[in-house]
Amino acid sequence: MEILAKIAFSFYCLIIFTGSVMAVTSRSLVRALVGLIAVMIAVAGMYLLLAAPFIAFMQILIYIGGVSVLIFFAIMLSRAEGDEAGPVSFGRAVNALVSLLVPAVILSVIIIYHPVAALDAPLNVSPALLGKRMLGAYLLPFELISVVLFAAMAGAVLAAWRKRGQP
Amino acid sequence: MTDLMLFQLVGVFLFCVGIFGLVWRKTLVGMLIALELMINGAGLSIVAAAQLTAGDAVKGQLAALFVMGLAAAEATLILAIVLVVVKRFKSSKTDGIFNMRW
Repeated sequence: MEILAKIAFSFYCLIIFTGSVMAVTSRSLVRALVGLIAVMIAVAGMYLLLAAPFIAFMQILIYIGGVSVLIFFAIMLSRAEGDEAGPVSFGRAVNALVSLLVPAVILSVIIIYHPVAALDAPLNVSPALLGKRMLGAYLLPFELISVVLFAAMAGAVLAAWRKRGQP
Repeated sequence: MTDLMLFQLVGVFLFCVGIFGLVWRKTLVGMLIALELMINGAGLSIVAAAQLTAGDAVKGQLAALFVMGLAAAEATLILAIVLVVVKRFKSSKTDGIFNMRW
């Protein structure tokens, strides 16, 4: 990587670290959501560093514009703010630490000791090429994802529906 | 240490912090936030592998897009499920949710 790219990479790493720690340990769920949004923006920056601007813009559009708003609605409608307060039990803390360490060690060892032949600079793929492939070889998954989205939305409306007269 | 390795390690970090949060959190919404962290880590790993190896870059980027679409669908469904659970149990704390049906 060039020196500027290295600086940008370390900056994004810093945001990802603080944001993810905030998202996971903050007592207030709204603050956790702010941490999550910071992580998403930094990941979008990493996509830009990887020369994938289309994915970066989609990340901002879908995650920051859509998913985080949904999570905010979930916080608001479930009145969960404040439920996270109070100490975490010892057993749960041990479970959480074990489930943090086991995959971290296994995956890091695999990544560090079994490196894959990597390119020095990322490939440049134009969005036009992505669109052609999406309407060509991957037409079926592209259509299926819209069916999945429709089914999810319809199912969400159906599940959260309140009949007249019900409390 | 190659660039690919650095990006993959960031992805692993996000994934593992996500698992930690999934176990640590007491409410369903907190677990949803941790889940989104995990999905972000996976997406970063996929795009890094697509862009920095000799494999098909277009395929990898499309896979990342599909992951994003599925994450959006999943967040919608989880919102509905949280609403139903809160309606029935009057709280979204996971400790109190035992009954499947009554």
